Amino acid sequence: MSIFIQLLLNGLIAGAIYALVAAGFSLIYSTNKFIHFAHGVVVTFAAYFLYLMFAVLGINFCLSVIFTIICAGLLGWIINEFVYKTMRKRKASSVILLIASVALLILLESLILLFFGPSVKTINFLEGGIGVNIFGAMITSLQIVIIFIAIILFFGLWLFMKKTILGKAMRAVSNNKDVAEIVGISSKQIYAWSFIVGSSIAGIAGVLISMEQNLDPVMGTNLIIKGFTGSIIGGIGSVPGAIIGAFLLGLVEVLGIWFLPSGYKDAIAFIVLFMFLIFRPQGIFGKKDFSGKII
Amino acid sequence: MLEIKKISKDFGGVKAVNNCSFKVEPNTITALIGPNGAGKSTLFNLISSVIKSDTGKIFFDKKDITNLPPEKVSNAGISRLFQKARLFENLTVEDNLLLALDHTDTKFWFNLFCKTPKQTDKIQKVEKMLDMLGMKKTKNMFAKDLSYGQKRLIELGRTILNPHSFLMLDEPVAGVTPELRDKIANILIELKNQGETILLIEHDMNFTLGIADRVIVLDQGSVLIEGTPKQIKNNKQVLKAYLGE
Amino acid sequence: MLSAYIIHLLILIGIYLILCLSLQLALGYTGLLNLGHIAFYAIGAYTSALLTLSGVPFIVSFLMAGIVSALFGYLLAFSTNKLKGDYLALATLGFTFVIYAIALNWTDLTNGALGLAGIPKPDLGILQIKSNAFYLFFVSITAVFSYLIINKIVKSPFGKVLEAIRDDELAVRILGKNTFKIKNYSLAVSAFFAGIAGSLYAHYITFIDPSSFGFMQIIPILSIVIIGGIASLRGTVLATFVLVLLPEPLRFIGFPSSVVGPVRQIIYALMLLLILMYRPKGFYGKVSLE
Repeated sequence: MSIFIQLLLNGLIAGAIYALVAAGFSLIYSTNKFIHFAHGVVVTFAAYFLYLMFAVLGINFCLSVIFTIICAGLLGWIINEFVYKTMRKRKASSVILLIASVALLILLESLILLFFGPSVKTINFLEGGIGVNIFGAMITSLQIVIIFIAIILFFGLWLFMKKTILGKAMRAVSNNKDVAEIVGISSKQIYAWSFIVGSSIAGIAGVLISMEQNLDPVMGTNLIIKGFTGSIIGGIGSVPGAIIGAFLLGLVEVLGIWFLPSGYKDAIAFIVLFMFLIFRPQGIFGKKDFSGKII
Repeated sequence: MLEIKKISKDFGGVKAVNNCSFKVEPNTITALIGPNGAGKSTLFNLISSVIKSDTGKIFFDKKDITNLPPEKVSNAGISRLFQKARLFENLTVEDNLLLALDHTDTKFWFNLFCKTPKQTDKIQKVEKMLDMLGMKKTKNMFAKDLSYGQKRLIELGRTILNPHSFLMLDEPVAGVTPELRDKIANILIELKNQGETILLIEHDMNFTLGIADRVIVLDQGSVLIEGTPKQIKNNKQVLKAYLGE
Repeated sequence: MLSAYIIHLLILIGIYLILCLSLQLALGYTGLLNLGHIAFYAIGAYTSALLTLSGVPFIVSFLMAGIVSALFGYLLAFSTNKLKGDYLALATLGFTFVIYAIALNWTDLTNGALGLAGIPKPDLGILQIKSNAFYLFFVSITAVFSYLIINKIVKSPFGKVLEAIRDDELAVRILGKNTFKIKNYSLAVSAFFAGIAGSLYAHYITFIDPSSFGFMQIIPILSIVIIGGIASLRGTVLATFVLVLLPEPLRFIGFPSSVVGPVRQIIYALMLLLILMYRPKGFYGKVSLE
């Protein structure tokens, strides 16, 4: 029984991390309507940036974190401004934008690899050693912090989307870009803002992940796959759906390891993704008349 | 020839086609008319199975073709022209038309191992069609380089070349010049005289009432009335449907 | 010394050529955005290596590499038949990761991260290919043969159907053609040649491990196909020569391999990005990626 609870907890922690990636990804998708695969490398960038600020340069931790989040948002803005915007001007389709984002992912990952080397890095800010015992399962205080921050963040994001003018404008563009433009919302600006907000969330994800895991230059690929799969499970383009989907993915993965060797953990996400793409591309919560890529 | 029985299609709460039934008799030109949003194109999509119906049946030559894959509907003998241009943009006009003729081109091993089969008889057919359309000059042009009117004509040619016993044309003369419109009208009448059956959607009333034998008026997804062009012309119900309450 | 290096480069070009031409068939001619091409390459390499290591003659393993890959290609196409555009791209990308995970974790079969060593050089019965010069000859013949077959396919009426599917699949179905079946063939043939390329690679290097078949490896191939131009075999050939040779000077400058690896990826990714931004037709392509 305690093993089961332990697995459940592990799944929840993994899910929280995936959900942090999925939330930003899904926010960007909802307005921009293409798969920004390079979102994963923004997370990696944030983690390494924090490493540089805090562990290498020895800057105050809080200051490093704030700086990291700002720089992640800035990176998102730069990516949109200098790559996607140029391509959108040429009326590039979502497929072309996807290929470009894969190229971006590899480009930035390789740059990080070049500067920081292939060896894994660690940030020791909070020693997560002391565990808390819940029904016989162990959870570290750091993991509790991660789940706690994730939940606050999701609540904040929800408030942002519901209450602020910018959030409402984003939802308007997401629903119908043309109608939104008629009402006077500049979709170009909203695209840019989605990248800034979404990438800042990726920055927060990067900070939390860097405290929990070792950093490695290609971790972004893995993270965006998990985040993307979570978004598909919950219905792509819906931020709350993506968050729930990501948590579900975390649980499925952990439970899957019961049946498969742990090396297949990442493959499980793909099998889930495959199943959803083929049988239910609109996700669990998506509307039935999904008018996506299927005739 | 074609029989629609109580077919319905719902798009997220909007009944695009609602319990619609009618028949198309052989060797006639039948026109589907009705105001925008009456469900004409949806009905076409249902017949050619581009979208699946919720309820109801479609029979073609007494065979049930409801919700078959589109290629099977086509092979049953229904050839269709779309409302928006759907030529293969990066192929030449000739290749576009050759594709419609038969399915030897889908046989992988045959095409891989046999010396490219002589297509002289097929090319002759294509040239005859281009001749009929008056488009011989465009034979080796890429489809993307044609004007809108030329594209429509080539597409009409492709639809006619596709082996069929029944033609469905969705707005064949929308957006073409008056000369071209008359040309298409002549082509369609000529086809009918050769024994063809045609179902068409058209907003241009002069064109439609000029060539149709029967007219079916759709409104809000079902048949409002049907009859000869003369009967339809002066019908008050039809007028009301077009002008609104 | 120099001639050995040139032979080595030419062998690599030959292998890449087969890999890129086969991707061109699926991506450029059929419009299937297959990001899982590396997986077929991996399947071919492992199939061939495992068979030869267990005593099967080279020529049989070589052909089986293609056939097993083709089978996987057919299955992948079959299961993703309804997916289009970016959804297909992601599903095929996922396929790469699944194959990679299997290569890494099914240690009984693949020897996991340690890889398979001592893959014998080809033995064609009458003649044994021991020298690289002779191997180059074999690779060249295979590459030319692949080019001829793919060229024959795309120039035949079947090739026109493929192009029609790329331009407008629904319109092809309305003409009464079973596009699912045709797409299955296209991806199976594409996978066949990728598998053969994988076999050539395995027997040349004589050692394979999962790291040679990671997701990143798709970038050079994708760059070559797109930069050469969509639906242009000539462009693909030219781009393969230029792009495989392009990062080579890095070695002469004397950078360590830990730098050459990432810089190579950076060059390819950057080129791909720039071509997508400023010239999406590629250099020889007539068709714009939609």
